[in-house]
Amino acid sequence: MLQCIFLLSDSGEVMLEKQFSGHRVDRSICAWFWEHAISQGDSSKLQPVIASPTHYLFQILREGITFLACTQVEMPPLMAVEFLCRVADVLSDYLGGLNEDLIKDNFIIVYELLDEMIDNGFPLTTEPNILREMIAPPNIVSKVLSVVTGNSSNVSDTLPSATASCVPWRTTDPKYANNEVYVDLVEEMDAIINRDGVLVKCEIYGEVQVNSHLSGLPDLTLSFKNPSILGDVRFHPCVRFRPWESHQILSFVPPDGQFKLMSYRVRKLKSTPLYVKPQLTSDAGTCRISLLVGIRNDLGKTIDSITVQFQLPPCILSADLSSNHGTVNILSNKMCCWSIGRIPKDKTPSMSGTLVLESGLERLQVFPTFQVGFRIMAVALSGLQIDKLDLKTIPARFYKGFRALTSAGEFEIRS
Amino acid sequence: MAPPAQSQRSSSPSQPSGKGEVSDLKSQLRQLAGSRAPGADDSKRELFKKVISYMTIGIDVSSVFGEMVMCSATSDIVLKKMCYLYVGNYAKGNPDLALLTINFLQRDCKDEDPMIRGLALRSLCSLRVANLVEYLVGPLGSGLKDSNSYVRTVAVIGVLKLYHISASTCVDADFPATLKHLMLNDSDTQVVANCLSALQEIWSSGTTTSEEASRERETLLSKPVVYYFLNRIKEFSEWAQCIVLELAAKYVPSDNSEIFDIMNLLEDRLQHANGAVVLATIKVFLHLTLSMTDVHQQVYERIKAPLLTLVSSGSPEQSYAVLSHLHLLVMRAPFIFSSDYKHFYCQYNEPSYVKKLKLEMLTAVANESNTYEIVTELCEYAANVDIPIARESIRAVGKIALQQYDVNAIVDRLLQFLEMEKDYVTAEALVLVKDLLRKYPQWSHDCIAVVGNISSKNVQEPKAKAALIWMLGEYSQDMQDAPYILESLIENWDDEHSAEVRLHLLTAVMKCFFKRPPETQRALGAALAAGLADFHQDVHDRALFYYRLLQYNVTVAERVVNPPKQAVSVFADTQSSEIKDRIFDEFNSLSVVYQKPSYMFTDKEHRGPFEFSDELGNLSIGAESSDTVVPGHRVEANDKDLLLSTAEKEETRGPINNGVYSAPSYDSSLVSLSASQSQPDVAISSPTIPGHAPQSSLAIDDLLGLGVPAAAAPVPSPPPLKLNSKAVLDPSTFQQKWRQLPISLSQEYTVSPQGVGALTTPQALLRHMQTHSIHCIASGGQSPNFKFFFFAQKAEESSSFLIECIINTSSAKAQTKIKADDQSASQAFSSLFQTALSKFGVL
Repeated sequence: MLQCIFLLSDSGEVMLEKQFSGHRVDRSICAWFWEHAISQGDSSKLQPVIASPTHYLFQILREGITFLACTQVEMPPLMAVEFLCRVADVLSDYLGGLNEDLIKDNFIIVYELLDEMIDNGFPLTTEPNILREMIAPPNIVSKVLSVVTGNSSNVSDTLPSATASCVPWRTTDPKYANNEVYVDLVEEMDAIINRDGVLVKCEIYGEVQVNSHLSGLPDLTLSFKNPSILGDVRFHPCVRFRPWESHQILSFVPPDGQFKLMSYRVRKLKSTPLYVKPQLTSDAGTCRISLLVGIRNDLGKTIDSITVQFQLPPCILSADLSSNHGTVNILSNKMCCWSIGRIPKDKTPSMSGTLVLESGLERLQVFPTFQVGFRIMAVALSGLQIDKLDLKTIPARFYKGFRALTSAGEFEIRS
Repeated sequence: MAPPAQSQRSSSPSQPSGKGEVSDLKSQLRQLAGSRAPGADDSKRELFKKVISYMTIGIDVSSVFGEMVMCSATSDIVLKKMCYLYVGNYAKGNPDLALLTINFLQRDCKDEDPMIRGLALRSLCSLRVANLVEYLVGPLGSGLKDSNSYVRTVAVIGVLKLYHISASTCVDADFPATLKHLMLNDSDTQVVANCLSALQEIWSSGTTTSEEASRERETLLSKPVVYYFLNRIKEFSEWAQCIVLELAAKYVPSDNSEIFDIMNLLEDRLQHANGAVVLATIKVFLHLTLSMTDVHQQVYERIKAPLLTLVSSGSPEQSYAVLSHLHLLVMRAPFIFSSDYKHFYCQYNEPSYVKKLKLEMLTAVANESNTYEIVTELCEYAANVDIPIARESIRAVGKIALQQYDVNAIVDRLLQFLEMEKDYVTAEALVLVKDLLRKYPQWSHDCIAVVGNISSKNVQEPKAKAALIWMLGEYSQDMQDAPYILESLIENWDDEHSAEVRLHLLTAVMKCFFKRPPETQRALGAALAAGLADFHQDVHDRALFYYRLLQYNVTVAERVVNPPKQAVSVFADTQSSEIKDRIFDEFNSLSVVYQKPSYMFTDKEHRGPFEFSDELGNLSIGAESSDTVVPGHRVEANDKDLLLSTAEKEETRGPINNGVYSAPSYDSSLVSLSASQSQPDVAISSPTIPGHAPQSSLAIDDLLGLGVPAAAAPVPSPPPLKLNSKAVLDPSTFQQKWRQLPISLSQEYTVSPQGVGALTTPQALLRHMQTHSIHCIASGGQSPNFKFFFFAQKAEESSSFLIECIINTSSAKAQTKIKADDQSASQAFSSLFQTALSKFGVL
């Protein structure tokens, strides 16, 4: 089990250290780790599981902060990595973001949280709802409250009873004047289009996100019009399995607030909403590049924040790029960003220019990969549709709402 | 343990150096200590915060210990928490001062707020000062009986902490028994889960008396306990579920219906949002069905989708951990994943360690139906910006070509690589084309045409250069200007830094000479002269050898240097199947990520707290069981043993052989005893092994010409191993033992041709082994694959050996895994088993 967790800043400084077992882990391990990270170049390219001379290290990187866990005994690696991810999520939830200053300002809270999340190396409670009852988040409200009431303790007097309840993700009996529940379908499209313009892989990873503010112990059911298109699904622990297995109905008692009800995959989609056509022709030490972006089939919804990014190969000395719509930026690390925004009605956005190759090179041999970004509001590209959402006993004021959003995940076009 | 100087090094220069500030803090704290003024708690908070922040950045603030303790009399819970944190950090280093804290912690343990009770108890147990353990027992005892579950949860882990500080105190207070009672009766699942993990750790650590510990371990793995946990699994928190699943993976069900019950019960865990739960469930499924081949395959089909989803969702770190496991499964059963090859396509943004795993999987799943798509995809990576990945993908194309029968299209692709004019692409492609020609000589025509166009000046990497030169030599009759290219290469002999290339150059020019003597003669002369003058020993020797060979007789030289070759059918595999099996046994552990079984990277004392089996027994056994690790220097020794034992075999078998079997069969017996035998002497020096030892040891002595009597064997012989000829073991005990014991030896040897001939049905071998007091518990299979489970027991005691033996008659290989109660005897037993097996069919 885990022996120790360190939080490192982006300069390798130890911001926080939490030991779990009698075998103290010396800080010098962080120095070793940092040297190792530097020797690997980019720290984001570092393997998540590393064997140091004395310990096995698990590391994840979030917003420049490295979460480093050490152990000397065998344990499931995914458990450690998952736990670190959970720690990062909870911290960013509590502190309203993650960065060096936030952590340094609130290190007491971080210690308190870690204390409750893991004991002696065994993960205990990672449900944000329960943690929030034990340790108050450092928000303005609680600060004002403590000044007004003179009660300086930022913790409730009683323990959350949920630790003993059979619905561990839900705090007991919240009360709301307005009962609201919102369901969002959030999808990401991953696609690869190869050099010949063929769509070799296209799938959607989606999540059903629910934001619930309901009084008491609400029992919800959610059904889809076309559940058969769903590939593999994964559920929040609150979802009951039987109704899903027999009728593909999601029946659950939701946690309070925002949570991820379910995630799913839809495979083997046939088309993408956009086309991107790159063309590169080399001649005598220069390469002409042109890039067209357009809508493939009209969804009836506008496609927003379209961007195309690509890394220029190292053999290119200089590039001169221009576009008829949007702006083109070339960053110092030879990354080109073309931000298009929306596609205008009257013309097809295109970008063109010349790339000057290293002397001695006739033709371009290493070709860039274009990564496309976009957002489409109010559409779930997988075609998944929500049928209805029911509440067993409907309270006085009850609102429900549905939204959908599709954005590009790993959407790449090779040239 | 850190020298304090080191921990201070990490503080950055902008931070206060400490001294002055710390003494400031000290005096301020002292002033506040007794104060009951209204704002006192707030100013205390500020000060505490400062102290802790100094502690966090590595400044030693242990000097304010006394003041901190004095200030800790407060009702403010945050202040308390900070104080606990501070105390926990410094108590171990200052045992005298720690005594000061006991008082207030004990008082807090009786507070009316359960949160404070719990926190105080946790801190109390975290002090870890050995001479204070007596103060722990009382609070822990009442903590375990507390009405609040939070306190009980903390107390259970506290017991474990106490156990690690002083095992005897813990056992004397009868805490393990209390935990056991709590585990089976408490209403709170977190308490139950903590009990389970604490008990597992307590019973598997070395300090408990082994008899009691093993009995307790068995209880934990007994049907009622495992079922109790499995039936309630949904009530546990996700992390506790992982622990329960880990336990379930060790459980040995008594029959198939039980296996199906468990799998039905756990099936929905595969859809859990927490990847760790999913992976732990998969481990249970895989381990339960190991013995049921068809169901095992269905399990693969079932877990495929969740695994692939886990890979594509979540953070890159999570997907890497899953991908490593997927990689293992794909390598074990590529055909199951062959339709999902698109999931292994690399995305531009992925880190290269992920891409590397994916490339290996793409290579593995390639079959007739998907090769075209996979190779097309791989070829796109060759133009990738990431050069190591580009190289790797070209190698992958080559590997696919070598494992496929229909290589038409692939050869074309490879040849396109050669024309890409990228030096590293050309280099990799050349090496591949060389391997390809060794396997498929029929492609030489197409390849040579393209290779001939490559200017040797563009090839710089030694490996690629050597490959090109090899082809020039091998196919010099088909390449117009081969002699002239070689000649120009030889002219630059001195600029060639790699000895490998120079060696190849010598051989190639020889081959070329035999085919086109007039054109090559000059080059050959130059090469031999340069070679003789070379400072590298190998190059010099080879040149000299060729020179003398040519002097002796040119036709003989040709027969030696350029004999007709057979196409290579199988290239040597890098990782043995045994290692792969070991890694599979350790599914859902670090082994999978490192792609090594744990014995290769963990010290014994660091193997997990849950590795029950490895903790068995005392030290001397430990040394023995670690013999499976073959360190580098021992390999050499093994090689010698190998020769000795071969000689022995030949000697003993000689008279029976009647010359029917041709030379190759002797060759194969050379390998027969190759496995990691660190104590080959056992078989030889124990004279009681029936009918084998006397003549064999004589044979060896004769061969060595030592003339030493057999009794004076150099190694002190272990007590002779006698087996009970009437041993009995019922199948369920066998299964349970098989699951619990570690593999103490695992070997592969060759079965004699006579043995292969006699093994038409499994029964034949069973009868034979029975005469050697080795009994069979299960067997099966059809020619050429047979699988046996044997067992044997020692004559005087009830210690037993379990053997899994897989015999493939077409390759004449037998793979055995031996597990033993008494691991120190497993070597001796292994030799005995081997002897018995080698006699099969002979008598």
